[in-house]
Amino acid sequence: MAAMLELKNFEYYYGNIHAVKGIDLYVNEGEMVTLIGANGAGKTTTLQTISGLTSPRGVRGEIWFDGKRIDKKKGNKITAMGLLHVLEGRHVFPQLTVEENLKMGSYLRRDGEGIKKDFQKVYDLFPRLLERKTQAAGTLSGGEQQMLAIGRAMMAAPKMIVLDEPSLGLAPIVVKGIFEAIKEINKRGTTILFVEQNSKIALATADRGYVMQTGEIVLTDSCANLAANEEVKKAYLGG
Amino acid sequence: MFFTLLISGLVIGSIYGLIALGYSMIYKSSGLLSFMQGDIMTLGAFLGITFYSYAGLPFPVALLLVVLISIALGFAIEKGVIRPLLNKNTMAIYIVLATIAVSYIVQNGSMLVWGTITLNFPSIFGISTIKVGNISFQPEALMCIVVGFFCMFLLQIFMNKTRIGTSMRAASMDAMAAESCGIDVSLSTGLSWGLSAGLAAIAGMLIGPIYGVYTTLGATIGRKGFSSAVIGGYGNMYGAIVGGILLGLVETFGTSYVSSTYRNLIAYVLLLIFLLLKPTGIFNEKAIRS
Repeated sequence: MAAMLELKNFEYYYGNIHAVKGIDLYVNEGEMVTLIGANGAGKTTTLQTISGLTSPRGVRGEIWFDGKRIDKKKGNKITAMGLLHVLEGRHVFPQLTVEENLKMGSYLRRDGEGIKKDFQKVYDLFPRLLERKTQAAGTLSGGEQQMLAIGRAMMAAPKMIVLDEPSLGLAPIVVKGIFEAIKEINKRGTTILFVEQNSKIALATADRGYVMQTGEIVLTDSCANLAANEEVKKAYLGG
Repeated sequence: MFFTLLISGLVIGSIYGLIALGYSMIYKSSGLLSFMQGDIMTLGAFLGITFYSYAGLPFPVALLLVVLISIALGFAIEKGVIRPLLNKNTMAIYIVLATIAVSYIVQNGSMLVWGTITLNFPSIFGISTIKVGNISFQPEALMCIVVGFFCMFLLQIFMNKTRIGTSMRAASMDAMAAESCGIDVSLSTGLSWGLSAGLAAIAGMLIGPIYGVYTTLGATIGRKGFSSAVIGGYGNMYGAIVGGILLGLVETFGTSYVSSTYRNLIAYVLLLIFLLLKPTGIFNEKAIRS
């Protein structure tokens, strides 16, 4: 079976800077995969290029999603194919209400009934969002904004969600809740790839992992094996 | 006297409001200032005369045609001039300069086509004045106020209650997030420039029958519309409307009760006062870098 997402010898250049130096990565349908690594390893570049949010000029190699090549496609077209991106730093629409933000998540859909059901699903998973439905998103706490960003992606009824640093700037207890929600979304059938600096929680949540270092994949294995790996322990799990 | 002034204040105020709304939309969607607003207004008035008077179309049809042409023009300018500059990472000030170039091209182009004399926009209604008690006014003045307010109202509904309007606001708040929601941000920005031009053209067609139509009609009004937008809070849609009406009233009453010598000073003195003392405008729009 072909993978849902596959990167073949993917490279990325910012002008002369070689940010990603030829990586191979795949995510099978229904899987939850994490990409860990230090700051500046090229994780965000990789994720944003998958979603068509970087300039296509810098891309080398191939990216395939759901049987189609997407490395030259625009971001909104990739979204239309069912690959949703939850951006680093949450990026909710600050002056729109919680409800309007979620509506924007369903922007490309025309199935009114399905949208209604998905509103319910999001509010069931994140009851806090229901309470704050009419509030401007900019007034939410960091954790609530992360819930909203994830909920907004769910509203597109995606095949796959990629998340960039979902734990960024959040208190440990909030992070735990967010990752439980991501796990639940995966369990319900959405394929997930996420980038995370908090390697401990990343390896505890995902099925498989890739370790990225200065633009290259240096290690890949099941998360259980990665967590037990001496090098990974030393470099990413604090000994 | 008071009511006559009130009406002419509201007439010019609603025109300022329409122009100011265009400035706000462009600022919000692109973070830019467009100097074309006034001249597109002039173009709208000339096109209006052409369709209504020369071609003999009914006024509403002429208005609709002018609006559609102007929306297409605004969209085309964004795609043909602004977007290529943005794609080259040109600094904002240079793009603003490009809009000045376009504004003069539109102004001088209008002069080539329609000449330099003031054209008389024929009256739209069968009667020349409406009399209520001892107040009399042009029916076109009333139309200007009513249609002007209605358009502003319609725009609010469009931006706040419709899917496309909301997506345009979303795109102006966070382009990357909008793109990842599936919104075509480039289309959305083009649409903002198109609507701004459409608003300016409506203003031109409303004011034409009252002021007459000449090549520099929009130049002055465009600048005052800009002042209105700043007074209301630059980039704020409610601010644009309130700022426009306020400026129209202050200017009209000030001219009448103080001196007509200062007519054109009021707007710019007010602009400077707001910039120095309250740059965030009436509606507290973000103006200071944090």
